[in-house]
Amino acid sequence: MMLEKIIALSRKSSPWVCHFNSGGCNACDIEVMATLTPRFDVERFGIQLKGSPRHADILVCTGPVTKQIRERLLRVYHQMPTPKYIAAVGSCALSGGVFYDCYNVLGGIDRVLPVDVYVPGCPPRPDAIIAGIVKVLQKMEADALELGDQGRASAAEGGNSRVSH
Amino acid sequence: MAIIDDLFKILVFPGFLFVVNLGLFLEWLDRKIYARLQNRVGPPWYQPWLDILKLLSKEDVIPEGASRFMFTWLPVFYLAVTVTASLCIPVGTYAAIYSFPGDLIVVLFLLTLATIILFLLGWYSGSPFGRVGAVRAVTQFLAYEVPLVAALLTQALLADSWSISLVMARTTVGFPRFVVVHLTALAVALISLQGKLLRVPFDAPEAETEIVAGPFTEYTGRRLAFIRLAERTEMAVGVGLVSDLFLPFPARLGVLGFVISAILVTFVLSVLRASVARFRIEDTTVLAWKYILPFSALGMVLAIIVRG
Repeated sequence: MMLEKIIALSRKSSPWVCHFNSGGCNACDIEVMATLTPRFDVERFGIQLKGSPRHADILVCTGPVTKQIRERLLRVYHQMPTPKYIAAVGSCALSGGVFYDCYNVLGGIDRVLPVDVYVPGCPPRPDAIIAGIVKVLQKMEADALELGDQGRASAAEGGNSRVSH
Repeated sequence: MAIIDDLFKILVFPGFLFVVNLGLFLEWLDRKIYARLQNRVGPPWYQPWLDILKLLSKEDVIPEGASRFMFTWLPVFYLAVTVTASLCIPVGTYAAIYSFPGDLIVVLFLLTLATIILFLLGWYSGSPFGRVGAVRAVTQFLAYEVPLVAALLTQALLADSWSISLVMARTTVGFPRFVVVHLTALAVALISLQGKLLRVPFDAPEAETEIVAGPFTEYTGRRLAFIRLAERTEMAVGVGLVSDLFLPFPARLGVLGFVISAILVTFVLSVLRASVARFRIEDTTVLAWKYILPFSALGMVLAIIVRG
């Protein structure tokens, strides 16, 4: 029990974020970048931007999923080690937004991946993105206390430990 | 009893636990100073420890293209090499666990080995980013290693010894006469140490904006935790070595003096990291061979002249 508490504390205090644009117009990406600037100082909460999905805990997805990007998005998702969480940022990532029903667009992120938190807005303000990440952290903590070092994603997928991609 | 005493020395006080925790503390200090210089609050003091704990509790992935043996053992070797190097570093007046005339050479050799392991880490991880990072790490190694050794050699020449503890005891011998030489060597040592530790402006090997994370791209979970611990230990060893060899406090104030000097050196390295941008890899090499190396050679010649 003690160990689970330590794991939960460490997970929620050190979320590393990887940013993925699945076909958006870049406005959300600019806001995500703005979130990481010294003005908002997310390093206070241990949040760091990581280039490699292998190091990331949270995948921040912006934009609708295009048919072209679907495979790449799945690949990046599978490259992340469990437990992994997805934050969908922006109206397009939620439902497809203005690209809804386009011939080349599948829709929101949740058509492809299990999304944990939805941050609406076109684009959402950095404050909203931070609020979304904090929601993911609460989820992370609850999962760690409940499932120990397994985490939600691996339990949901029947444990994809040691799968290589 | 002697065995328990030795075990305590190796595992707890000047050994493993102390060095690793000093490294993590210096990481926090570095991030905090960096944050303050950007006018923000920065991470809480326990952040580096939680990062390690989190990595230890994550999934462990071995990519298909990676060599299984190398991928498993290199992070362990990396930590082993840096911790072994720390055995020869005296903590202020508290003697090193293993010291002998010439331990300076052994520490430099082990730190070189750490860079070679860094290269192998990237090369065998089966990722093109890892390979590019690995090759850059070795290219950069050719740039900073000679000035670093030359700067430390200058101190050894002035003190007339290859033993770290003797050089440390003699840092202030011939005080006003040697100042210029000392400062030349210190400047070169700090800049090349920055290169050795792969920090800005010499972080081309792990440049996150172009090659993802360089040699560490494919590493996850506890392997990444080991690599991070090894990097922090390398930082503690490098910073400790420079404080022991160049600053007057470790020999005067003991353990406290050692920690104060380590903090001072880290402060300079952090300010350097916060105030400059990344060099391209060829610029690093040009800078090192055209400007820093002649500067360090000048320091050495001066050292020979002033010693007479």
